[in-house]
Amino acid sequence: MNVNFKTLSLCFAAAALLVACSEPPEIAPKAAKRPDVAPYMGANNGFMTKGWAPGNQTSWTESIDKRNQGQNENSRVK
Amino acid sequence: MARMKFICDTERCIECNGCVTACKNDNEVPWGVNRRRVVTVNDGIIGQEKSISVACMHCSDAPCMAVCPVDCFYRTDEGVVLHDKDICIGCGYCSLACPFGAPQFLSQGAFGTRSKMDKCTFCSGGPEENGSVAEFEKYGRNRLAEGKLPLCAEMCSTKALIGGDSDVISGIFNQRVTNREKNGKYPGSKPFGWTTAYGGPDAPAPTPTPAAKIPGAN
Repeated sequence: MNVNFKTLSLCFAAAALLVACSEPPEIAPKAAKRPDVAPYMGANNGFMTKGWAPGNQTSWTESIDKRNQGQNENSRVK
Repeated sequence: MARMKFICDTERCIECNGCVTACKNDNEVPWGVNRRRVVTVNDGIIGQEKSISVACMHCSDAPCMAVCPVDCFYRTDEGVVLHDKDICIGCGYCSLACPFGAPQFLSQGAFGTRSKMDKCTFCSGGPEENGSVAEFEKYGRNRLAEGKLPLCAEMCSTKALIGGDSDVISGIFNQRVTNREKNGKYPGSKPFGWTTAYGGPDAPAPTPTPAAKIPGAN
């Protein structure tokens, strides 16, 4: 009975010492990049300009290009 | 759609700092962070003083993207270089890599702590929902999704700073250079555009070189 108790105690102590070896890694998973929504999908905030349809890339591009030319005084004054 | 770019005409910039103020106000940028600033050279020397408005240039091969250890940067289809503040750790590598000093950090914390990086977004927000409050609080306005261009460029009184599709704005600048030459200013000067610097409008933007492929980098 004494031998069994000693063996059990040793096993328990060894297991207790080895507990640290079985700890799961504490490295945080790499943060995943979130996909961004394209600007031509529009913004639902009431500040959108008129003249293009949200979700339609072509109309957004045309609208932006037109607005871009607003920075060109050579075409604005004509 | 080609690449969204800014161009600042040094012949027109009068150092009014309107672009700086507009950006700060519209995006509610915190005190101590300037997404845009005006740099003047030869200050006070008559005939030689030149000013230029500088912010993130949304590089086609952005060094900030290449050095970021947590890979928080991304480039949109419009060529705008953006970053995810939820991934950024505020290490400051991007600030060292950027030749324009675009990445900005709040440094008001105790023990010299830094905030997460903040920079010009070409008024196109971040990965949050377009036009949402969360996007505004982290990145400022998303004017592109509203069908507008960056406010700094749109409100520039002398139209020194212009921003938008690189082909369009280089066309505008081209026209200015041609007119100046025609009017006798800078005779012999030749127009220069992005198609000269980076190839045709359909040329794909180069992808940044991964650190693993750079000799000696870990």
